[in-house]
Amino acid sequence: MKVEEIKINLEELKEFKRKNAEERLKFIDFWANFVKTHPDKVWSKQQNVVINSQIRK
Amino acid sequence: MEYDAEKREIKLDKELNNLDTFVIEFCSLLKDYVIVSGYVSILLGRSRATEDVDLLVPEMTKEAFEIFWKKAFDSGFECVNVLDSEEAFEMLQEHAIRFCKEGVAVPNMEFKMIKNDLDIYSFDNKIKVQLNGDSLFISPLEMQIAFKLFLAADGNEEEINSDKDIEDARHLYKLFLDKINKGELLKMLEKLNINERLKWL
Repeated sequence: MKVEEIKINLEELKEFKRKNAEERLKFIDFWANFVKTHPDKVWSKQQNVVINSQIRK
Repeated sequence: MEYDAEKREIKLDKELNNLDTFVIEFCSLLKDYVIVSGYVSILLGRSRATEDVDLLVPEMTKEAFEIFWKKAFDSGFECVNVLDSEEAFEMLQEHAIRFCKEGVAVPNMEFKMIKNDLDIYSFDNKIKVQLNGDSLFISPLEMQIAFKLFLAADGNEEEINSDKDIEDARHLYKLFLDKINKGELLKMLEKLNINERLKWL
């Protein structure tokens, strides 16, 4: 397929963007609740997978 | 995690990550400072990394800066901007300078002097975070949440919706919902003229 052949439904994409943002905020709430309700050692182990993969010693 | 709002202390018993150890090592070189912006959320559990950590320090004399500069270099840090302490001190009067571990640009500390009332407020009302025998000083949560909402991009609702700064603010708000001084938070939102952004929390 060539770029010129792509058909874009902007309304559909805007809706995807909105739903994506909504889902991201739901995950923020889920994770904040997880941090609140679990021992620091438990949540930080999971957080550190993200951080240590990007920030090397 | 325990937050004593009266004592302005948070006790954390987390596993430290590479970013934490970097920040702890750098901050141990300073007596007075306050950490602001993204790392505050990250320290308190937000699931993302950052390339830099924002730090505010009270105004320093040239002599005090030279002493700090030597300590930093002796501890394996270097200034990203310049290698000369005099030039660095002059730069610091205008804008932030960055320090990193020698030869490793990321992560780095964005080192700024306290300039305005927001900075002064953050410093005067800082929270002590005790973690595993070390401690770090962070900005008050209400200020952090309000300022993060302020930093979020101006734009229409769908643009703001998935902003990293909104997410950082929301994480802190949800985490400390019962302990946050909501009156203070509302006052700050009003001062920053962003009352309508409260809905993102």
